[in-house]
Amino acid sequence: MSITDLTSMAETQLGSKKEINERLLKIIDEVADSCYQCAKCTSGCEAHKLLELEPHKIVALLKRGLIDEMVNSDIIWTCMSCFKCRERCPQNVSPVDILFTLKNLAVANGQQVPGAYTAWLQSIMTMGLLQDVQEVPLGDGKVLKREDLGLPELSKPMDAAMFQMAFAGVAMEKM
Amino acid sequence: MTKKIGLYPGCVIPTEQYGYEMSIRKIMPELGVELVDVENISCCGAPFKSINLVMQTYLSARNMAIFEMEDLDIFAPCPQCHLSLTETKQRLESSGELREKIVSRLLEEEGLEYKGALKIYHTLDLLHDLVGIDVLKGKVNKPLGWNIACHYGCHTIRYTGADRPDSAEHPMKMESIITTLGGTTSDYSEKLNCCGGPLMTTHKDSALTKAGEKLKAVQERGFDALAIVCPLGGRVLDSKQERAAGMVGEKLDLPVFYLTQLVGLSMGMEPESLGLNLNKSPVSKLI
Repeated sequence: MSITDLTSMAETQLGSKKEINERLLKIIDEVADSCYQCAKCTSGCEAHKLLELEPHKIVALLKRGLIDEMVNSDIIWTCMSCFKCRERCPQNVSPVDILFTLKNLAVANGQQVPGAYTAWLQSIMTMGLLQDVQEVPLGDGKVLKREDLGLPELSKPMDAAMFQMAFAGVAMEKM
Repeated sequence: MTKKIGLYPGCVIPTEQYGYEMSIRKIMPELGVELVDVENISCCGAPFKSINLVMQTYLSARNMAIFEMEDLDIFAPCPQCHLSLTETKQRLESSGELREKIVSRLLEEEGLEYKGALKIYHTLDLLHDLVGIDVLKGKVNKPLGWNIACHYGCHTIRYTGADRPDSAEHPMKMESIITTLGGTTSDYSEKLNCCGGPLMTTHKDSALTKAGEKLKAVQERGFDALAIVCPLGGRVLDSKQERAAGMVGEKLDLPVFYLTQLVGLSMGMEPESLGLNLNKSPVSKLI
């Protein structure tokens, strides 16, 4: 199973796309009458100043049905998921959840995802965790590892093959 | 009274942020919390919320099932894990379809049973509410005496509907712990700002700039140190402080401690036993 299979399987993800579209339609229904573009979300957005994410515009584009435009844009991957927009919206709209749904749709459509996700998926498939133990360089040229620190062995899936199969099954929505 | 609880370190803490794990393991037994290590755990799935909601839900539910089968509540010191587990628990309560798919099919195939009845703790509520301020106070024999800024981290406090360890807009539990340990603290305008950590793998420069801005603000306000409770915060605010300084063109030399390291120091524990020799920020200025 390659990572390409896991992240870009437009054909195998029909069920998943249907579920995501339903989620999106439900959100559109909810925001259509509530967001009045006060931009409080954007004023607090952690990704606004540096990465130019404007959550209130995401909501506006969604209301206009410009979903493909957003799904095809890199901007949806700049959200830091700080949840300030969800916390502070006076109308209970949640731009961060709109962005999660758009990203899910991008993946189900077979769009390229940022490289970090591919590396994480690969790592989960092989060892069940995002990364393996890292060495800590000390100032004097020495290097410490987890076992040098008196810490117990790293806990990870015991039956790697079974975990891999289950995880791949979820990834491919072939259940 | 000793409370038994399962430690769920997640991915980043046990593979990289060793000082957080070491200090947790060192202080908790002294505070009446018996930590139990659990085999067979995996990533909580938090980063995969962006990829596929079912994937995140499956991974979090799988871990919770493993703890439940050992009859343990779960202690997740990573706020991202804590949020992912909490959201999953809520999601499985409200969606019968997802519960059927994940719990009845996938987990049962692995021989796991998920009930969704366990409690989920983070460092902050474990120390402040379960251990309690009075017990903490009784253990302090080396009051800190420093002026310490508190950094909660986004997922520790947001969002309100997801049963967080402290308030989204006015969190105060960390402050109350710091003053109990003999430190002083005060509010600052940037307290609720993100450290940039979640961007580290996709937009490194922006992540380090955010970290630099946060550190600069804390340093300029005259704090002696910064306290954190999140491994992604540790990664950028402590481990990469020098590079963060470069991004904002400032000389930064702000000691950054995990709250659990500060608890240990106030109890008179050896700095090295709390992993303080692993902190990259200049903690030796103070200890």
